[in-house]
Amino acid sequence: MKRGTKKRIKEKNEDRFSCLPDYVLLHILSFFDIKEAIQTCILSTRWKNLWKILPTLTLISSQFATFEAFTKFISKILSLRDASASLDVLDFQCEGRMDPRELKRILTYAISHSVKRLRIDVNFDIQQFLPSLFSCHTLTSLHLSIYESPRPITLFPNSLNLPAVTTLALNGFLFCVGDDGRVDPFSKFDKLDTLMIYGACEVRDNKLNLCISSTTLVNLTIRTNYSAAGGIRFQLYTPNLCTFVYHGHIPFQKLCGINSNLSSIKHVLLDMTIGVGMWSNPKDNPLLLLHLLDELANVESLTISHRTLKVLSLVPYLLEIEFTSLYNLKSLKVDGKFITEGMLYFLLQNAPSAKVILY
Amino acid sequence: MAEEKSQASSSKMLTLKASDGVLFEVELNIAKEMKTVQAYIDDCEDIETIPIPNVLGKHLAIVIEYIKKTNEEYDAEFEKQWNMDDLQLLLLAANYLNISGLQECLCKAIAKRIENKSPEYVRKVFNIENDHSPEEEAKLRKEYKWAFEGVDKD
Repeated sequence: MKRGTKKRIKEKNEDRFSCLPDYVLLHILSFFDIKEAIQTCILSTRWKNLWKILPTLTLISSQFATFEAFTKFISKILSLRDASASLDVLDFQCEGRMDPRELKRILTYAISHSVKRLRIDVNFDIQQFLPSLFSCHTLTSLHLSIYESPRPITLFPNSLNLPAVTTLALNGFLFCVGDDGRVDPFSKFDKLDTLMIYGACEVRDNKLNLCISSTTLVNLTIRTNYSAAGGIRFQLYTPNLCTFVYHGHIPFQKLCGINSNLSSIKHVLLDMTIGVGMWSNPKDNPLLLLHLLDELANVESLTISHRTLKVLSLVPYLLEIEFTSLYNLKSLKVDGKFITEGMLYFLLQNAPSAKVILY
Repeated sequence: MAEEKSQASSSKMLTLKASDGVLFEVELNIAKEMKTVQAYIDDCEDIETIPIPNVLGKHLAIVIEYIKKTNEEYDAEFEKQWNMDDLQLLLLAANYLNISGLQECLCKAIAKRIENKSPEYVRKVFNIENDHSPEEEAKLRKEYKWAFEGVDKD
């Protein structure tokens, strides 16, 4: 109906996209579902091959009816995509058992196309694929999440050489001893500034601490399950750490490593629990929260969850306890429903002019 | 209280002149968020009025407001107020003025509004002329059949 044989006078409603360069159209496409991005090839000749140079790929198995459909789809994309176009971002999420060779194929493709940000979310052991990441010098952000029940079995390699990685997020890994007899898997990342350890991570020999040694680390998020049993004992050697987010069970020992301290940390979020009643461990003691706050003495902004307030509320005779920490506090954010005057007084006693934000 | 230096530089005002002649007085640090304007200033330091030939006053006002107010909350609500026409023109403006945050916000918004829509709908909305021959289009639809399953018919 639109296509007549007469030459059309340029209407004031011309193709708006004709003024925009390809990279802007690609930017819009990058927000599309991959199937829809491919469908744009139909729009006009300009769009015909645009999807083939899309630098982001998000492949989610749950969007497909069967694994066969999923793997077929991936095959087609990899073969049709412009071979010279780099792939900046690959986000691969697969629920259920898939042929690990498919993952290998996609990983190899991504690495050979200079992938910068890689996210893999699967529920099978990816041990065999990790070596292929060793020689990836383009990777800046790596997010590996493995859901294995009941316990993690994929070992995190101690010798991953990823010189450009600045962000690392891990879920479901077993950390194990290195050559020096310590569990210290992150020390060789020369540019690491952001680290997230969450979900079901464990140390293989759970008598050992997990050392986090990094002079470049600025942001650390720990989000482990709330039970102490089998929980990781962290030891931080992070002289430049600035932001610390910690969800989990109150640590039974000092967080900072030997001859180290947490004085560089400025911004903290604490979401801590403690075993109570039949879930408690002989070591459970609400005073441990105060010891943790003592370690975080220099903090400028502190956010405390209602769970943490519950722990605080278990400390007997709180206001009679000597507390010299939090003297640099500039802002305190707490759950308005659970905070009491006594707790507020306690926390702010060394920084009375700190701003209080209730959420 | 605030550093005197930043006070001094942020109080310097600049005038931006939209394509329809509307004038906007903005602080230097706001104007600098538009990399195109920044480049202009770098080239001629004494400039006081900068012409923005591709952007209507209506849209330049929106862009300036965005720069002043942008944060996570604002960005999430920002795109809801504009119709598709305005979104497209704002994207052209953000691209010309080289404001990456706004461009990202708008690309995301436009993508959201056309997701799950048929190619016919998308063509209509953006006035894209279909210059594929019927044979070519049929060939593409066949070749990419595997990507066309499950599309909204508007």
